[in-house]
Amino acid sequence: MEGNEISNLSLLFIIVFVFIPVSLSYWFSLDLSKTIIWSSIRGVAQLFIIGYVLTFLFDLPSWQGIGLWVTVMVIVAAINASRKGRNIPYVFPVVLMVISLTEVFILSLWLLFGYIPFSAEKVIPISGMVIGNSMIAIGLALERLQHQFSEEKGRILAALSLGATPNQASLQIIRKTLKAALIPNIDGLKTIGLVQLPGMMTGLILGGVSPLDAVRYQIVISLSIFVSVAVCAMMVTLLLYRFYFNDKMQLIDLNS
Amino acid sequence: MDKNQSIITCKDVSTDRLKDISFELRRKQITTIVGPSGAGKSSLLFLLNRLEEPTSGEIYYLGRNIKDIPVTQLRCEIGMVFQSAYLFDGTAEENIQYGPKLRGEVEDCDVNRLLDLVDLPQSFKSRYVTSLSGGEQQRVAIARTFANKPSVLLLDEATSALDIKTTEHIEELLIRLRDEKEISVLMVTHNLKQAERMGEQTLYIEEGRLLESGLTSEIFEHPETNHFEQFLKE
Repeated sequence: MEGNEISNLSLLFIIVFVFIPVSLSYWFSLDLSKTIIWSSIRGVAQLFIIGYVLTFLFDLPSWQGIGLWVTVMVIVAAINASRKGRNIPYVFPVVLMVISLTEVFILSLWLLFGYIPFSAEKVIPISGMVIGNSMIAIGLALERLQHQFSEEKGRILAALSLGATPNQASLQIIRKTLKAALIPNIDGLKTIGLVQLPGMMTGLILGGVSPLDAVRYQIVISLSIFVSVAVCAMMVTLLLYRFYFNDKMQLIDLNS
Repeated sequence: MDKNQSIITCKDVSTDRLKDISFELRRKQITTIVGPSGAGKSSLLFLLNRLEEPTSGEIYYLGRNIKDIPVTQLRCEIGMVFQSAYLFDGTAEENIQYGPKLRGEVEDCDVNRLLDLVDLPQSFKSRYVTSLSGGEQQRVAIARTFANKPSVLLLDEATSALDIKTTEHIEELLIRLRDEKEISVLMVTHNLKQAERMGEQTLYIEEGRLLESGLTSEIFEHPETNHFEQFLKE
């Protein structure tokens, strides 16, 4: 971004923006001032650290930089997402496996079709978007799965008592879980570009790339994210609902 | 089949809630289970439908250990109706066909006959279950269980949320089903008058133990234990 760099001094002025909600919080006695200041400082510090880490990673040979940082992202995402389903057995290994396999699959497609070169500058940011969105979708799926098994316990028991297998008895729950996990992305895909310009496309345009070229990148990333989110939510749901039943086709109360 | 033949036999069945329960359910017999809340009455029904597993003891259905019968087959033969109807989203017809559809036998399921059996008009077929009253929903739930052609019907306080008139209709229905379809009924109830009206045999369970059992008319008239006598007075 030649001639359009943000200087340290002008970056410092952004603090003024933080003081607006802090003042409002103080004025309306919302008791949020500390949280806002702490979150802002933490966010800024994290971004600077990531900036230095990325600079370091981009200087490494591509396979090392990509391998190292994608591994970190996958593990952090798996830890974060699996917290939403902490009552379900084997939730962490399953989520870790699903995110890893999906990332490998998506990355292979990008490289195979030549969408991006195998360089850390390209693979790491785009992988971050894919893994981050998958993490959110898996978290939503796990929350919904637990909620549904708790809310619909009576109907599942009724279905089992009528001779349904666990798979048949859980069909409605699986459908509702996947709808809940995928609807934010489906809605996002439907209105993409109409309500707000996607972050990556905005960044490229600000960086001087022509809108049509930016759109091409955005199509690749948006569809990659959608495929990844859908595959992750489906795999996690289909692999984990089984743990709500034992081998005698009896419902186990994991939520108690 | 001999009327005195045992259709279900429980031998020293225990779980974390039940202790050494033994009894027999005979063919074409209505047995009621009474006892204080939390005594383990519903747990016993869950064991018979194999929705739960005993920690010790054995349960036999027509002389076969239920562990040797495929679970889905056993659950069709020993049907269960819960306190709430727990109907699935959709119409009454879709609910009634649920069991047969699972086995690919939907053509054999005569929905009109089943609605007739539970005293509901055939126009109810296309009614969404959310538009039905509590009593109508419970009747659809019974019809849904009956679509599996069970020989034993387990009822877990199935009439407790219903008004007196609807309860009487369902009681008449159960007696008719026993007489016409030769089924055995095991019903949990907190209503002693219902137990007296319906049960040929009654089991009294308290704190997971079967404290008294026998012909209803006899044990209600001459309770053997102080616990049951006290329970009857309450």
